[in-house]
Amino acid sequence: MKNGREAGSAPSDEHHAGGLGWGGEIGGIILFALSVVFMVGGWQLGLGAPTRLGTGAFPFVTGAVLAVLSVFICIAERKGDGLAETPDWIGLVAIAAALVVFAISVERIGLVPGVFVTVIVASLPDRSLSFVGKALLGIIVALACWGIFIEVLNLPFKPFVVI
Amino acid sequence: MDILASFGNGLLVVLQPENLMYCFIGVFLGTFIGVLPGIGSMAAIAMILPITFYLDPTPALVMIAGVFYGAEYGGSTASILLNVPGTPAASITAIEGHQLAKKGRAGVALFSTATASFGGGIIGMIVIALLSPSLANLALSFAPADYFAVILLGLIAASAVSNGGALKGIAMVVTGLMLGTIGIDLTTGVTRFTMGIPELRDGVHIVIVAMGLFGVGEVIASIRGARSGQAAQTVDYTDFYPSKKEWKSLFAPILRGGAIGSFVGALPGTGQTIAAALAYAAEKRVSPQRKDFGTGVVPGVAVPEAANNSATQTAFIPTLTLGVPGSPPMAIVIGALMIYGITPGPRLLTEQPDMFWGLVASFLVGNIMLLILNVPLIGIWVRLLRIPYKYMYPTIIVLICMGVYSLNNNVFDVWLTLIIGVVGYVMRLFRFEPAPLLLGFVLGPMMEEQLRRTMLLSRGDPMVFLERPISATLLAMTALIIVFALYSSAKTRRRTLASTLASNRKEQSNEQ
Amino acid sequence: MNSKTTFAAAALAVVAISSNAALAEPGAWSDEPVRIVVTFPPGGTSDLVARLLAQHLDTDYGQKAVVDNRPGAAGTVAADYVAQQAPDGTTLILSNNAPFTISPTRFASLPYDPIDGFTHIAYIGASAPGLFVQPSSGITTLEEYVAFVNETPMTYGSSGVGSISHILGEAVDAALSVESIHVPYQGSSPAIQDFRARALDSFYDMVVQNSAMIEDGEAVALAIASPERNPQLPGVPTFREQGYDVVIENWVGLSAPAGIDPDMRAQIHETVLAVFADPEVQTKLTDLGITHVAMSSEEYEALVGELIGVWATLIEAAGIKE
Repeated sequence: MKNGREAGSAPSDEHHAGGLGWGGEIGGIILFALSVVFMVGGWQLGLGAPTRLGTGAFPFVTGAVLAVLSVFICIAERKGDGLAETPDWIGLVAIAAALVVFAISVERIGLVPGVFVTVIVASLPDRSLSFVGKALLGIIVALACWGIFIEVLNLPFKPFVVI
Repeated sequence: MDILASFGNGLLVVLQPENLMYCFIGVFLGTFIGVLPGIGSMAAIAMILPITFYLDPTPALVMIAGVFYGAEYGGSTASILLNVPGTPAASITAIEGHQLAKKGRAGVALFSTATASFGGGIIGMIVIALLSPSLANLALSFAPADYFAVILLGLIAASAVSNGGALKGIAMVVTGLMLGTIGIDLTTGVTRFTMGIPELRDGVHIVIVAMGLFGVGEVIASIRGARSGQAAQTVDYTDFYPSKKEWKSLFAPILRGGAIGSFVGALPGTGQTIAAALAYAAEKRVSPQRKDFGTGVVPGVAVPEAANNSATQTAFIPTLTLGVPGSPPMAIVIGALMIYGITPGPRLLTEQPDMFWGLVASFLVGNIMLLILNVPLIGIWVRLLRIPYKYMYPTIIVLICMGVYSLNNNVFDVWLTLIIGVVGYVMRLFRFEPAPLLLGFVLGPMMEEQLRRTMLLSRGDPMVFLERPISATLLAMTALIIVFALYSSAKTRRRTLASTLASNRKEQSNEQ
Repeated sequence: MNSKTTFAAAALAVVAISSNAALAEPGAWSDEPVRIVVTFPPGGTSDLVARLLAQHLDTDYGQKAVVDNRPGAAGTVAADYVAQQAPDGTTLILSNNAPFTISPTRFASLPYDPIDGFTHIAYIGASAPGLFVQPSSGITTLEEYVAFVNETPMTYGSSGVGSISHILGEAVDAALSVESIHVPYQGSSPAIQDFRARALDSFYDMVVQNSAMIEDGEAVALAIASPERNPQLPGVPTFREQGYDVVIENWVGLSAPAGIDPDMRAQIHETVLAVFADPEVQTKLTDLGITHVAMSSEEYEALVGELIGVWATLIEAAGIKE
């Protein structure tokens, strides 16, 4: 945790307490990379003339502005607070996996089993909940979804799909 | 007065049992469906459309309207409680609202938004009643150049929405602008940045961006605590009602928000989003509590709500009196009317006064119903927050998945949400705020469209922006705002520098 | 029963079974709810027609039906989805021109075959677009239009690049040997809005749907692109009668994945046509600007094939290929 606060820091940083103290520039670099992608793409699409803007004009210009801004952000972040916290990799993977599971299963095995598995996958990293607990939560949520989304709301989900 | 008489007549129409009942059904359905993340007014209206076929036009319209603003209110409930906004306007409510909820003051936030929505709705209704013809004429005289100017103003406001530093805020808006170019370029029909994926032809859907950046990102960021079995927020829930001072502080923002929302909402297409952004940005300038914006401030959650709700009501003006739908739900309204053989247009006021004034009066009744319906619910919502997050977050993920899937019944949207969700989490790590990005994403394509269209229509003459009075005025205002912002930030920097130098000098003199 | 009656009964039964297809009765064809996939989001004309159909299928014939909106990419997203579904009568697509007659030419490659990938079942109706100009321009005939535009090119609004109004606009330009400035919009409403704001000189859109503007004198309809004048607006001449062979209509029809049982196809056809024969439904269709024409499944399928060719010429002439 960074100690103290430098006298020159902008008032807007007052809302962010602490931080890792490093890594803020990476954000700026990522933005810069993204902006380059759009600048190149925009260039290839054709910029057109100022009074007859081409397809690529907007992506190029916004990309250029972002590129400049991201450089400034990198500079500003060097004496900034850095990353807000250490990345929660497990959480990230769990949630990502949950979404993957939902995407794969909802049309193939139906909503109810799909939601059931999604809940379990999402709650996998939770050490304080037993597997039985997770399964129970999965069943409750799956049944609730069936009731609300399919029966009441008439959304075109198939509750069960026999493989 | 003619208008009072018409309004009174409308009130009589709406107080008929049939209309009352359908108003209630609409508001009720709208609220509950709006709370479900990702499933907004569109899905709700689509759901009740078959029912409307059996009804007469007035109760049908009243019900659809009820669903519309009920869903918008439900959406803000979700934004406050879960930071999962279904619409860009709701994302602005989420800025202060969710902070309040995190501090254990969800009840305060919900009471504030209920009151603000009601106030905004009433203001919107008054504006419709008094100014419908004038606003309709105003909307009619808006050419692409004028729209461009309005949207540009909205974008400047969007940059001001950020509470984490102007540099990052503007960067986020620009990123949003940039990402908004993904999809088919409307002016030429050429696809941009779609990487050959057909589902990206129409660009990334706004709900997916909102759900991913806010919803998924938020969940990933929040489960760390839940995982290790940390107890649910042990915060003081006796902080349920706003304090007397806070109640009083609601009054002015509601007026301001309602005023801004009423006028901006009457402009087709741009309405709610720009209204909420403008209102919030303006409030940040004007509010006595401006320094605390971003930490959960009652005026900050009230003003976008008031603007949002009044814009929702005045959105009916161009829809009914001009036949121009500003948003997809309004297109449904027009479609439904056409099935009844009623063509929206200037003749609607004279040919169907009962229906029009019945609708206007139903805004009053509907907003009252919303209040009566939602205030007791606040207790339930707050109690909902006490459910340990470890049970909530898988549910939220499922709700997000379902909401996003139901957009196009396409699994691709879930994949996209996944990617954007990871991006949202990464953004949080680097302290980039999602709200300005969302705003830029929504407003960017609109701005580009209007800019290029202006050029096409004026055959390449850029002076048209200054020749049209509306765009000239708005652009001048925007320029002034930018100048003022630069000036005041320069002044602040000078002041900070001066005080730093002064304190350094003091230290030096102390050491001696 | 004696043997003669039995034989007669058996003979009748054989005759009945073999002419089953021709004698299909309107009625439910599936125990499962049917999904009517629509290529547009809720609220559009196709969507409303689909909902109208679904409602009547349910109440009049006991066939439960649900509308499934899958908008995007000129209907190709919906068409692609439906083409992959099982041909058991539970998935239908209610579409307009776009996915079957426009997209094959407009897009370099399609994930489905517009003729063989589908069973085209029922034609519902068509609406015709036309050319509208500002009343303040003083133009009331195509002659005057040509004269004006030859001096000063006009801007015209369409509902989007590759849309029917765009293709019509280009076709008219070609037929009249003039050049206009195309201004695409997202749908017709924003175009009409700019038109009313006097920023746009002219626009193309479905004529009947804009009859209120015509009657109010806010827009002048110079011509309609249907083969004959529309009975709802008899005052609007057709392009054809003014000497220009421009006939472009937006049709709406019902199709299903390829390989549907012919008997089921016939039954769906009969049921759908029965729904649209209902005078109440007809009125609603007309209000939406659609003129219903009853035709057989085979005629519809032939029409689709024919129209692909017709539209191909138009699209290539307009230069809208991808």
